[in-house]
Amino acid sequence: MKRQIPLAIVIVLGFVFVFYTFVPHKILADDVFNWYMNWSYSMAPFGMLLGVISLVMMHSVKISRKLPKWQFSFVTLGGLLITSIAGFVWGIQPGTPFMWIFENMQMPMSSTMFSLLAFYIASAAYKAFRARSPEATVLLVSAIVVMLAQVPIGIMISKHLPDVSQWILNVPNLAAKRGILLGVGLGSVATSLKILLGIERSYLGGGD
Amino acid sequence: MNFFERLQELDRRWIYLIVALAIIIPLVVPFNSKTYTTEPTEKMYQLIDSYSGRSDRAVLISFLHDASVMPELYPMEIAILRHCFERKIKVFTITFTASGAPIIDLALNRVKEEYPEIKSGVDYCNFGFKPIILPIVLGMGENIATAIDTDAEGRKIATLPIMKDITNYNEMNLVVETSGSAAGGYWITYARVKFGVNVAIGVTAVMAADEFPYLQSGQLTGMLTGLKGAAEYEKLVDVFAAYRDDSHPHGRPFSSEILREKDTDKLVNITTQDNAVFTTQEYQNFLNKYPTAAAILDKIKKVKDGSVMIKVTDLTQDQKDQLGNDAWTALKYQTHNIIYKFKTARIGMNAQSIAHIMIIVFIVIGNIGYFINRKKQNLAK
Repeated sequence: MKRQIPLAIVIVLGFVFVFYTFVPHKILADDVFNWYMNWSYSMAPFGMLLGVISLVMMHSVKISRKLPKWQFSFVTLGGLLITSIAGFVWGIQPGTPFMWIFENMQMPMSSTMFSLLAFYIASAAYKAFRARSPEATVLLVSAIVVMLAQVPIGIMISKHLPDVSQWILNVPNLAAKRGILLGVGLGSVATSLKILLGIERSYLGGGD
Repeated sequence: MNFFERLQELDRRWIYLIVALAIIIPLVVPFNSKTYTTEPTEKMYQLIDSYSGRSDRAVLISFLHDASVMPELYPMEIAILRHCFERKIKVFTITFTASGAPIIDLALNRVKEEYPEIKSGVDYCNFGFKPIILPIVLGMGENIATAIDTDAEGRKIATLPIMKDITNYNEMNLVVETSGSAAGGYWITYARVKFGVNVAIGVTAVMAADEFPYLQSGQLTGMLTGLKGAAEYEKLVDVFAAYRDDSHPHGRPFSSEILREKDTDKLVNITTQDNAVFTTQEYQNFLNKYPTAAAILDKIKKVKDGSVMIKVTDLTQDQKDQLGNDAWTALKYQTHNIIYKFKTARIGMNAQSIAHIMIIVFIVIGNIGYFINRKKQNLAK
């Protein structure tokens, strides 16, 4: 039963959604969809709760067992607690402590992490981006053209540079991307069908 | 160890230092550089602009990102909101990530500061954070007020004045999603296919290549690519939506010809502009409209090359008070000075330009060193 019930829920609801998407009948479009909406709304808080419990458990274990870098877990749990209290007590409108934390701590910290990318890219470009083979040379030249066309100086060098860059993005890039997308799409359809038909059961856990 | 070998072994901390300077200096010392607009940006701008003044059209902006990608995406959001507020276009905002909610508040409040006449629930409405995406995307196709129910301030959507003439995607006809990852996926797959809504996106530059298939197929109406896309949109807003003259008191419609005009560059300077420049006829029209201004402005005006120039910083507070708010606002418009928050993408583009050049120089130097060393090694063998 532990396996059959979740399996039945997935198969039945999966097919309901397939019918909702492809069959424009009133029962499916209105009644079934409204029922689904209410269910999905009620699921979200449980998902959030699960996330919080999982985070607290993981870091509590880390602290209690003094696992490597356990001290940072205090920062994570402290951040969770303080931000939540700030949001619950004073709300999340501008001028509240929650918004202060967001503007003065989360925003600069997140942006700093993302901006490190620029330093790593520059370092990698210098240390590793070499024209070792014809393929690497094509990649290197394409990268230089696209990078130059992305900034105003590109058009000052040559008015054709943006067109060349656009061609690179619209033709070779697009062909490769579309190929990948088609592959991913066909793979998704195959996996979805296997799930709907109960063939693929790995999401239930265990080795079934 | 020769020069090129030393160059190959350069400590990466020197590279970090050079990159840091290349980014920081242009941010601290802004300079004017040209921004060229591209077709995906122009298409998106034109579609949004076509909703101007219509009560039965609205734009939904989906903030699908957290703070990490704000430097690229936030200026886009500011520019789009500013466009909507300038041209009286109804705008809704929503996010499906908890960390997106404060970004919406921040963006709306930053832009709203400059538009005191814009009211929540009347001109814009923030749906806030919704934890699940699919039922909302599909539900709004049937009825927005039913799918969303309450806005971020807890008000019933159905009772808000903004909802007059707005029911579903037939009216809220464009969704703009800003995201640091796969933007627009749900909207293209479900909302566009089932309900025919227009979808446009704003993405970080590294993600743009992934979106070209959708752009080429027409599934995406427009796309803003990274900071450059934001800078392009800022420019379009300054040249058209925020432009004011006698014949265009509420902005002017998009025109490729105007973008190509040489004088257009003067409208989008990011350095501080404190000279209000008029032609003689424009100045006369201004005085006819604000007769009391003549006594003040005639004293400080300067005529150069047939243009009348007034340095607005020369006006004292008393003189500003005598001019009155309307005349003062109109005078400031004539300087085409852009306040900081509406030009951040263009300032950032200067830093990005230098950083790109720097990276290209690094690649070239690195490769020169590599080939010289390889040649030496081959000769030694």
